[in-house]
Amino acid sequence: MQVDLREFRAAYLAEVDEHLGAVNALLHAIAGRPKDQAAPRELRDLMRLLHTVKGLSAMVGIEPIVTISHRMESVLRTADRAGGFMSERALDGLIAGTRAIESRVRQVGKGEPVTEPSAALLEALRDEPVASAGAGSPGAVAPTGASLDVALGPELSGKLTASDKEQLAQGTASGRRGLLVEFAPAPAKAERGHTITTVRQRLAELGEIVRVLPVAVPAGPGTPGGLLFTILLLSDAPAAAVAEAALLDAQDVREILAPRELPVPGRPERAAVEPETALPVEAEDDHGFEAQRGGMLRVDVRRVDDAIEQLSALIVTRSRLARAVAELREAGAATRELEAIVTDNARQLRDLRAAILRVRMVPIDAVLDRLPLVIRGLGKSTGKQVRLVLDSGGAELDKSVAERIFPALVHLLRNAVDHGIEGREERLRAGKPEQATVRVTSSSHSSRQIEIRVSDDGGGVDRAAVARKAGRDVPSTDAQLLELLCRPGLSTRDAADLTSGRGVGMDIVQQIVVDGLGGELALETTAGVGTTFVLRVPLTIAIVEAFVVLAGGARYVVPVPVVEEIIEVDARTTTRGPRVRGQESRFFARRGETVPLVDLCGALGLPGVAQGGVALVVRRGRDEPVAFGIDRILGQQETVIRPLADPLVSVAGVSGTTDLGDGRATLVLDLLALCAKLGRGKDRAA
Amino acid sequence: MAEILVVDDSKVMRDMVTACLRPDGNLVVSQAASGLEAIERLSLKAFDLVVLDLNMPDIGGLEVVEFVRAQDKLARLPILILTTRSEDDSRAKILAAGASRYMTKPFAPEVILAEVRALLETGHASGAG
Repeated sequence: MQVDLREFRAAYLAEVDEHLGAVNALLHAIAGRPKDQAAPRELRDLMRLLHTVKGLSAMVGIEPIVTISHRMESVLRTADRAGGFMSERALDGLIAGTRAIESRVRQVGKGEPVTEPSAALLEALRDEPVASAGAGSPGAVAPTGASLDVALGPELSGKLTASDKEQLAQGTASGRRGLLVEFAPAPAKAERGHTITTVRQRLAELGEIVRVLPVAVPAGPGTPGGLLFTILLLSDAPAAAVAEAALLDAQDVREILAPRELPVPGRPERAAVEPETALPVEAEDDHGFEAQRGGMLRVDVRRVDDAIEQLSALIVTRSRLARAVAELREAGAATRELEAIVTDNARQLRDLRAAILRVRMVPIDAVLDRLPLVIRGLGKSTGKQVRLVLDSGGAELDKSVAERIFPALVHLLRNAVDHGIEGREERLRAGKPEQATVRVTSSSHSSRQIEIRVSDDGGGVDRAAVARKAGRDVPSTDAQLLELLCRPGLSTRDAADLTSGRGVGMDIVQQIVVDGLGGELALETTAGVGTTFVLRVPLTIAIVEAFVVLAGGARYVVPVPVVEEIIEVDARTTTRGPRVRGQESRFFARRGETVPLVDLCGALGLPGVAQGGVALVVRRGRDEPVAFGIDRILGQQETVIRPLADPLVSVAGVSGTTDLGDGRATLVLDLLALCAKLGRGKDRAA
Repeated sequence: MAEILVVDDSKVMRDMVTACLRPDGNLVVSQAASGLEAIERLSLKAFDLVVLDLNMPDIGGLEVVEFVRAQDKLARLPILILTTRSEDDSRAKILAAGASRYMTKPFAPEVILAEVRALLETGHASGAG
């Protein structure tokens, strides 16, 4: 039997992705520290994670990632030897190295050849001579050190490292207790699932584990001898409470270090670090990641997708069943019981679908946690002082949505730092603090949508400059201004600058948010006060109730919520209008409102002409409604939308495909995007 | 039948090593996800060989080796260490701590299988040298 380790690439990608998430959180924690504060634990965790990435990459034969992680390890080792202090240059190198590994991991994921690291990157990761440990080398805990040794006893004290002791000293100084926990493993306990692994997990939830030491106990009178784990824990909870919560006997948990008197409530050493950076606590918590991992299951996304695929087959079968029942009923059969079963079945399928989709959900923090490093880089390249405030609101969203939204957020941050935030002099003249604030907040907008707001306290968008650049009149509303900003290639700066130039504009953001994810993009800007971009995107990939329609003889699927009204159109009551994008347009009156009637096939740029006896009325935001003429409606059913693979090559107005039960792919239309396209086309034609 | 314990905090790595050993039907492979778990399982049940990663959180591979060797009943347990190229993990240090053999990643599936079989046949002492 031949073993091929390349088969492990999918699992490799999933695990490396997780390690890189932890690497980002650690780099972010280190970047947030004052320069004179050592970060020995973070450095060691980073070294271990990168070492794992290196080993795994070597096993599956991805040499460029081996090279980069090896260089990063050397940089970290140097910093570790310098007592946990890292230079700015070293940190920047590590951030660049992490980005480089991430981009290569994406290449592996797409099956592309993996590029060798650039000379510039290797130079940035060049090991520098050990800097003198300098002012704040560890050992600042001397006063408590001696009493610590007494409290721990010589045997235990001898087994702890200097950084373990510093952690204990700092912990008790901030008001927590030092607890000594003992756990003796036994076969009977293991059968009940009571092992060092589960005990460790429970304790990690109750406090901060400083160290776990295995101790061999010699057999003696009355004791069988064997293995004993000694765990040092910092916790707010008293010993008895910890014992109870960790399912241990009361005598197995002892308080060995009492909390010191607190000058101020809370954890002062955290507050003193950087009161400005309101970053998520998890990212700063040394053990947050490890603790979280306890109950987590790592799953290859493709397996979940398989399950969704199977589920969509079930949904198709259900609609066939429902149709068959409807036919029976029409034929006069007694179908009451059958219909009740079909209804139950529909509900169960909905629940199952929700349960499977939840597996794909990741916390929005996974995306937001990467932004501080982006801001740091932007601040460096522009010389502007920027602090980033994050508020994730604890929302979760589908992994594929999270992956797609990230580049849009990076672009908005670039815009904010580059164009939104004024230069130093201008800010001071305006009476603003020199340090600008960029805020990224997210909240669940509804059960289906998440709202992400990116705000800056800069000068606001210069309407006149945008209008001049676009060769248009100065827009009077923010919505019109956004439309101008989203024109391909528009930039309010003449010179392409370092970060925002190169022709990448708001049109990319619009493409990702609106066309790619079927979300909404809005702008709020006030001169002199700041700018906010509001993104609303769906939380999950879509399974929706949809109309199946016939237009020009072909079948299409249109999600029900998009359609405001279905109307019958009488050719005699419509009037001819101007040509839109070369298409003839007609208008009709509806409740005192004039509604343009557009041929669906023509609007899609597809062959065929719809008969136009029936029209779907669609309204985008507060815009005027548009009616799309079709042949007729064939029915209504639940459909699983498969998004088109690449949002950048997708056709405007088509959000994906679905299988209606005949094994053929049917296009799912996004009439809102089509409205937007027609609107933009009209502007251009005018 | 030989009972093997594969110890690594990386699940992919554990699975890869397990896959490498699977062609030999006489090897029964169990996994441990941390050094602590490895020590616990070794104290509760007899294994014929341990494949051990060096680089783990809490307690690393070298600490596991030191602990194992300090216990009489485990003193002769063959331990195969897996390491990745790095200046810190020198051969001398690994063997001095009491490991039987060590291998550097990447390795071919056939090579680790051959190494495990040889170590099972000859035992701990003959490998160290």
